[in-house]
Amino acid sequence: MTDVEGRLSALIEGVSREQRSIETPEGVSLRVALATRMERVSAFLLDMAFMGAAVFCLCLLIIPLFFSGTDMPIGMTLILFLAFIVRILYFTHFELAWQGATPGKKICGLRVINRSGGPLAPSAVIARNLTREVEFFLPLGIFLSLDASLGVARQLALLGWTCAIAALPLFNRDHLRAGDIIGGTVVISMPKRALKGDLSERGQSADGAAYAFSPSQLAIYGAFELQALEELLRHPPSDLALEEVCGKIRRKIGYAENIERHDVRRFLGDFYAAERAALEHGQLFGHFKADKTSASEPRAKS
Amino acid sequence: MTEPQRASAETALRSARFRAAREDAWHRLDEMVSRVEKSGVGTLSASESQELPLLYRSAASSLSVARNIALDRNLLLYLENLTLRAYLVVYGPRTGVARNLAEFLAHGFPAAVRGMRRHLAIAFAVLAAGAIAGYSLVASDISYYDLLVPSFLAGGRGPDSTADELRKVLFAPWPGFVETFIVFANFLFRHNAMVGIFCFGLGVALGAPTILLLAYNGAALGAFFALHARAGLAADLAGWVAVHGVTEILALLLCASAGLVISEKILFPGPESRLESLARHGRVAAGVASGAVGMFFMAGVFEGGFRQLISNTPGRFAFESATAVFWAAYFIFAGRGKER
Repeated sequence: MTDVEGRLSALIEGVSREQRSIETPEGVSLRVALATRMERVSAFLLDMAFMGAAVFCLCLLIIPLFFSGTDMPIGMTLILFLAFIVRILYFTHFELAWQGATPGKKICGLRVINRSGGPLAPSAVIARNLTREVEFFLPLGIFLSLDASLGVARQLALLGWTCAIAALPLFNRDHLRAGDIIGGTVVISMPKRALKGDLSERGQSADGAAYAFSPSQLAIYGAFELQALEELLRHPPSDLALEEVCGKIRRKIGYAENIERHDVRRFLGDFYAAERAALEHGQLFGHFKADKTSASEPRAKS
Repeated sequence: MTEPQRASAETALRSARFRAAREDAWHRLDEMVSRVEKSGVGTLSASESQELPLLYRSAASSLSVARNIALDRNLLLYLENLTLRAYLVVYGPRTGVARNLAEFLAHGFPAAVRGMRRHLAIAFAVLAAGAIAGYSLVASDISYYDLLVPSFLAGGRGPDSTADELRKVLFAPWPGFVETFIVFANFLFRHNAMVGIFCFGLGVALGAPTILLLAYNGAALGAFFALHARAGLAADLAGWVAVHGVTEILALLLCASAGLVISEKILFPGPESRLESLARHGRVAAGVASGAVGMFFMAGVFEGGFRQLISNTPGRFAFESATAVFWAAYFIFAGRGKER
């Protein structure tokens, strides 16, 4: 089934996301989609923007200091210190309070989870966020401060370190950054899904189905085509596309009767319901048919 | 069987009946999970908190059943998504930042440090060896000093300084609150934390750079002592260094030990895979390193502020002994009760 779902999401959403599966303590395996690198960068930039706004507001509080004769470097030091505190608290607080999401991650539909499927321990959240400080902000801050006493070689070494660590997610399968490796976490993409109506019920009118199909007609397609049809019925691109699909199905299964233009939806709905009934019935008896090219085969229970 | 099949209202699909019987519970779980995602676990009432894990488990079992009997893609994706979201709420962290921090300081940090005492002993041995080497080198030939101590740390002190000049630095007058506590302490904190964090981070490079960095810092310290010993100021320097040095050197050693733990787990992962082993021990090591950063912060405040406030050597030694006793007691005794 997993490969059917993989092909479908590639067909329908146009992207093939990298999937991993985790096992919950109850023993149910759940497929999770890894967050793409772009999503993570955008979530990070959003978080940076929110933090920047927070630090800016805090800075408004210390503006009076500047008018009371305090030196510029001292003000800068205070600002850097405030930024440091806000940064440490921001990520850790939100990932603890919002089940592994910061505001930026929430907007991008991302979550931090335990890589092996267990509970997300507070120590993991703290470790991954403190490591961010080590791997990125500290070298960057020192590089940006352009402290002349460090010398060019050290400046370049810091820049090299920052870039190498920031590029780490590019070089491993699970897009882990150093903090994820140490904290045992992984970032996944988890948009919220809604439960829609059952098409097999909507396909039927009060007097039952208008169109009938023989078992041999229903034995042609498999789960892949059924679920592609489901998607088409839920989000029909245009009436023309529906007619086209209707024609293809009729030719494939050898359905002789002509279908009027206004009956296309009804025909497809009835075909979906009948096909699903047939395939699910087969599945109950251990015969899973993945698609039209594969034979119906006994499936090992997942 | 040759009769054409017609789906009709009376013979609704098994999967549709399955869904109809459980749909209400799913929606109820969905509503609770959405509420928690939006405004936190606190929004659940006591009875809802009890109900949530039950609903989660029944959704998980619905998912297992649906995978075997249903071909409705929307239903399967929804159930998988709902189970995952509920799972994150049920098994998610339940405590906030403040409580975790308090717990970490009360027993997590000292327990983790006790757990890596072998590495701490190695780090200490390396630092001590570096210090002895640095001391004997500079004591035998003063020209090694410039080689071992970087100019921006020496603060203008070198082989050419007279005893008076050295004394002046050791007992400089207090330049005022803002200058010491904010500017100088911040500079020291950032510099020291960098060194410590590099000691930790370089553990990823199999530990060799950590050892080298430690030995080098030890050598610089030894060279410094040799310089002052020539001017007969060894005891005063000890007082000057020790005000913050006890805290700072301990923090450096902790960072290095954490780095050594990381390199050990990369080299010798044991029965687990390297990534698993790193994830398990790395969390503890990162905790120790971040605790050490906190100690660097304290050391920066001691060095930038208190050292200038206490400007006589006996006073400095008293302060230093107090910090030494405090850290020893903290790391040896704190949080013992919670260990199993």
